[in-house]
Amino acid sequence: MTSLENLREKLGTVEPWVESRGTWWLNPGVLSVREVARAMNAVGARFITITAYQLPGAEGFRLEYHWDLDGHLLGLPFVIAGNSTQSIFDLCEAADWIEREIHEEYSIDFTGREYEPLLLRKGDKTGVNLREDPAAPPKPAAPAPGPKEVAQ
Amino acid sequence: MSYKIPMGPYHPGLEEPYKLDMICEGETVQDAELHIGFNFRGIEHLAETRNYFQVIALMERVCGICSFIHTLTLCQAMEKLAGLEAPPRAQYIRVVMAELERLHSHVLWAGIAAKLMGFKTMFMTCFALREKVMDVLQAISGNRVNYSMNRVGGVNRDVEDPLALVNMVDDLEREMMRTVIPIFTTSSTARSRCAGIGVLTHEKAISCAVVGPTARASGINQDLRRDAPYAAYAEMKFEVPVEQAGDVRARLFVRALEIIESCRILRQALAGMPSGEIAVGGDKFAFITGTATSRVEAPRGEVMYSVSWKEGSRNPARVHVRTPTYANMPAVRWMVRGARLADTPLIQASIDPCYSCTDR
Repeated sequence: MTSLENLREKLGTVEPWVESRGTWWLNPGVLSVREVARAMNAVGARFITITAYQLPGAEGFRLEYHWDLDGHLLGLPFVIAGNSTQSIFDLCEAADWIEREIHEEYSIDFTGREYEPLLLRKGDKTGVNLREDPAAPPKPAAPAPGPKEVAQ
Repeated sequence: MSYKIPMGPYHPGLEEPYKLDMICEGETVQDAELHIGFNFRGIEHLAETRNYFQVIALMERVCGICSFIHTLTLCQAMEKLAGLEAPPRAQYIRVVMAELERLHSHVLWAGIAAKLMGFKTMFMTCFALREKVMDVLQAISGNRVNYSMNRVGGVNRDVEDPLALVNMVDDLEREMMRTVIPIFTTSSTARSRCAGIGVLTHEKAISCAVVGPTARASGINQDLRRDAPYAAYAEMKFEVPVEQAGDVRARLFVRALEIIESCRILRQALAGMPSGEIAVGGDKFAFITGTATSRVEAPRGEVMYSVSWKEGSRNPARVHVRTPTYANMPAVRWMVRGARLADTPLIQASIDPCYSCTDR
């Protein structure tokens, strides 16, 4: 049994692993992120990071959790409708800084943990860097590459 | 009675802004708190406002020492979204540049570690060697630090005469074997300052998910060049040095051995470089809607980029960067626990921290 199949068995899911552009994705379905973190610990996967994406309008956020298992890059996306999700810090110490950073940049609450002091800035204002206001006008597009850039 | 000693954000032992508040009893550190973000630049946010040429130049500025690695990781992710694959010669040139950058980083780190040990002569020797590595980098790219070598679909500059560089690699290796490595591995000064201090146990290294030489010095046998090869690494033969002790000396050993392995890889890449073009795809790119990730083994450990694009857009929708120091730095807290206060600058330096990467 390969390590990926072993992990799928630990997760108790029938969803298949789907390889896309070098990442092995698994739809977590009804699994919570804490259940996933426990299964990752059980198979010895190494936590890498969480990438947060703000969904358009007021739809919420997509958090992509990445682990490494025997050189395979694993990706598990979780969509959150509101502004909070469960923390995995107590199960996965390595998630500490990235949870704090996402809390700071997107104002997403990871429940079950504390946030002080903030990682990147002083003060208690959150969501000031990467979070966009859905009511704000769209960002202007980047300028087209100029002839100098193309020549370079 | 315990008291708190702040080290940083501006400290002669650090020279980059970062703060370690150490709770001490007498001369012994009981615990530590880390503070970063003193130079946070918001590069991920800036990346969303740059077009596909500008974003490469921007991400090259994430780190001063491994600037090539950052553009390599970004370009690999962008190539996945553009449906391009760099030609074989470009893949070899990427290996050459990445290994030269590893040599540059490890020798620079060895110099700084020597300085923190109070071994100034060694510091001078390492920096003289570093100049030789930078001469090679300059001979290839025309630049000493930000090389502008990577582009989507390949590299910008060719290595005109790869075999001419083999002599430079031989010189470097000879000097490393003659001075740096024997002194670092056998001198009583280095041993007395490094052995048994700043220990990161195997269990704690796994728990903190540390990467690169910091992980390998704590007995974790991982290296993306072997485990998930990219560029032309699948065609290279090399060993991954692993030490078990987890102390500063083990981290020193791992880097010293990696210098030798880098020279070995360089020789293979320069000798076996295939002929052909160095880039594909022209000057205009069409990216598909989606997300692509890419990982590269930087000198300090794994770098990962997640790049998200919307079809028809000139600029990325999102670029997320996970740098190796971001993964390694929280482990410093466990390394300094129980250490003598005077050892803490060397202990924190032993992970080869990059605050520029961390405050990206």
